[in-house]
Amino acid sequence: MSGRFKQDPPSSASSDSGGEETATRQMEDEESTTDIGEMEGSHPTSPRPPSAGPHPQTPTQGALRSPRSRRQRTTSQSQPSRSREPILRGRRRTIYTAGRPPWYDCQGQLVEPFVIGVCGGSASGKTTVARKIIEELDVPWVTLLSLDSFYKVLSEKQHEEAARNEYNFDHPDAFDFELVAKTLLRLKEGKKVEVPIYNFVTHRRETKTKTMYGANVIIFEGILAFYSPDVLKLLDMKVFVDTDSDERLVRRLQRDIAERGRELDGVLKQYFKFVKPAFDYYIAPSMVHADIIVPRGGENEVAINLIAQNVMTQLQQRGFKLREKLANANFGIARPNSLHLLPSTPQIRGLHTFIRNKDTPRDEFIFYSKRLIRLVIEHALTLLPFTQDVTVETPQGIPYEGKRIATEKICGVSILRAGETMENALCEVLKDVRIGKILIQTNLDTGEPELYYLRLPKDIKDYHIFLMDATVATGAAAIMAIRVLLDHEVTEEHISLCSLLMTEQGVHNIAYAFPKVRIVTTAVDPCVNEKFYIVPGIGNFGDRYFGTEPSDQ
Amino acid sequence: MGTMSEVVTSRPPTFEKKSSTSQAALHDKQRQTEAAQSKEKYDVHIESQLQPVEGFGPYFKLIPASGQVKELQTIIRDRNTSRSDFKFYADRLIRLVVEEGLNQLPYSDCTITTPTGCQYQGLQFVKGNCGVSIVRSGEAMEQGLRSCCRSIRLGKILVESDLETHEARVVYAKFPDDISQRKVLLMYPIMSSGNTVIKAVNVLQEHAVAEENIILLNLFSTPAAARTITTVFPKMHILTSEVHPVAPNHFGQKYFGTD
Repeated sequence: MSGRFKQDPPSSASSDSGGEETATRQMEDEESTTDIGEMEGSHPTSPRPPSAGPHPQTPTQGALRSPRSRRQRTTSQSQPSRSREPILRGRRRTIYTAGRPPWYDCQGQLVEPFVIGVCGGSASGKTTVARKIIEELDVPWVTLLSLDSFYKVLSEKQHEEAARNEYNFDHPDAFDFELVAKTLLRLKEGKKVEVPIYNFVTHRRETKTKTMYGANVIIFEGILAFYSPDVLKLLDMKVFVDTDSDERLVRRLQRDIAERGRELDGVLKQYFKFVKPAFDYYIAPSMVHADIIVPRGGENEVAINLIAQNVMTQLQQRGFKLREKLANANFGIARPNSLHLLPSTPQIRGLHTFIRNKDTPRDEFIFYSKRLIRLVIEHALTLLPFTQDVTVETPQGIPYEGKRIATEKICGVSILRAGETMENALCEVLKDVRIGKILIQTNLDTGEPELYYLRLPKDIKDYHIFLMDATVATGAAAIMAIRVLLDHEVTEEHISLCSLLMTEQGVHNIAYAFPKVRIVTTAVDPCVNEKFYIVPGIGNFGDRYFGTEPSDQ
Repeated sequence: MGTMSEVVTSRPPTFEKKSSTSQAALHDKQRQTEAAQSKEKYDVHIESQLQPVEGFGPYFKLIPASGQVKELQTIIRDRNTSRSDFKFYADRLIRLVVEEGLNQLPYSDCTITTPTGCQYQGLQFVKGNCGVSIVRSGEAMEQGLRSCCRSIRLGKILVESDLETHEARVVYAKFPDDISQRKVLLMYPIMSSGNTVIKAVNVLQEHAVAEENIILLNLFSTPAAARTITTVFPKMHILTSEVHPVAPNHFGQKYFGTD
């Protein structure tokens, strides 16, 4: 069972130890304290990453989680740790691990993630290095992919060998490198991937998988991270952690005996039979591929600093500060063709008068906004292709030449929270329509949108999507939602963005990023104010609709 | 007129060029210039999408035709449509006609303040409207009207055609007392001869409702009925979704489930 323990430094092994554990234990970094209260205060729906949700973990997160009293790894470490802590306060800044900030530039195009490969012998401190790099970087969103997740499924016989500590988990044959390369490639393209969760007890992959997306930075770590040439090609930076072999053995002994209650003989036998030969034959030679060799592992501040600076230089060319950029983006005068503005009839202007008035009571606000929403949805429906001519029998006995909708597959996707107000109208016009949800919240510190929650129908790529949000200011949230849909392989032409009110900027930003997305709205206001509210606008639509306005108003 | 919010289709957007200036300054400037700019440049021009139907005078109009509306009509006419579907899609078509019908009502301009502290030049519908449904199928449209105007007053007229003479006669009528002062949304979904509607309008006229104050909301009309009605009441507003030689006469039966 050598491979089972050999490559997880204490900081990461805890990530799998079961979310039920609540006893916390201070790990090696005394700086990391959790602070979820503040986060929850700023986000009405406190993010609780579900196990299959789109919440890639940073390695740092694992460090915060409580290990079981008897540390027994049961699953691979890039598994979602059903973490309770959406953020982590580092020495100088806050690392967000739950919400997903933009992973595309202000034109909606994917920013290719920067992939760092971290290789090194067992207990060399790979994860510590990875984590320190993340702390150095000013990057809000990081995905950690571990080679552990890609152990091959064992046969019955191999399973028995493993039980007797006679299966070689350190040999390249133990890993499914083809799947590693495929997964990394998809992550690089920003696509959704299902990362297997390896169960070290059954030596099989769990039926559940962990959903991951590309991030700003992807860190891929493992003892044989540089083994496969296909994987090597995908790594933008290759870091080898070179720790003295005596030191690694000492750490292993400490970890396995003191923390895992194993026998000295067994640990040593395993070390000399598998771990050491694997290092000499496969791991050490792969050092030639490294761009940087970090001696002494995580303690080497200078090396980590250099790495971080290099990565930062590369990342700075890749558009952060999305919303600010969107708000200030300059566009031509002409309205894009993809904008379908409802005719400004007296009714629509009358309804706007009601819902924009700050003195409108909530009861009326809800009633009139519902009417307006219904009109938007009906209008959006008229824009779908209704090409199919049919002839039907009538009770009058004379056939009638009519039309039928060409597609049955329509799905609503609401952007929480304000978008949910539009779901009902969609259900009123389409029987049994499916509704997906996306939670995007604005990070109050950065003003950037972040993705927190996602539930979509399985076969969403075949659907026409009605993406619903009540108001679109800069378009940052809508662009993120559209990007999510595209990452799920929805066709861009099949997306209709429905809203009650947009700004000129929002319209242009979305149309510029996604020219084929239909934009349906009832009014377009000129601009946003410094708080990103539309002016003259409606105020905070969600707050007014759900009655959660701050009490001081 | 002409706050920044009047972004109707025809208005040239003028603000985005300045978007690099500070929002607050921009804001103030807009407020100052708003009055000056507004009247001449950005007079809101609200035009109805509705086009009069040729041959039936200026007040006979169709709701905008779309594949979507056509689909609703197809489902309503299809004899194989289940009752539940029929009612669902009939209600949708009714809602579309009612929403368009409400656009015909009079309104006045007003200015309100939005939660962001800005002015919005909106409009306010004049009070004093009512709905009148012709029993029985007209009642199917009452809910559609009430979904838009929660507390609108509703009158009813029951017109029956005499089995022997086929002449329509009024059996029952109940209106708000001051109906003569109100705009009347008269609801009747199917017109094949138009006789029923003529009788109903006659009753309204007896209650001193002016012809031009009546807006007839209709789903399906035959050309014959359209011709008859526009000839008898040239000043009455009529809104329908389709003019077709065959009227789906099963509407009331199927909607209320008495077939």
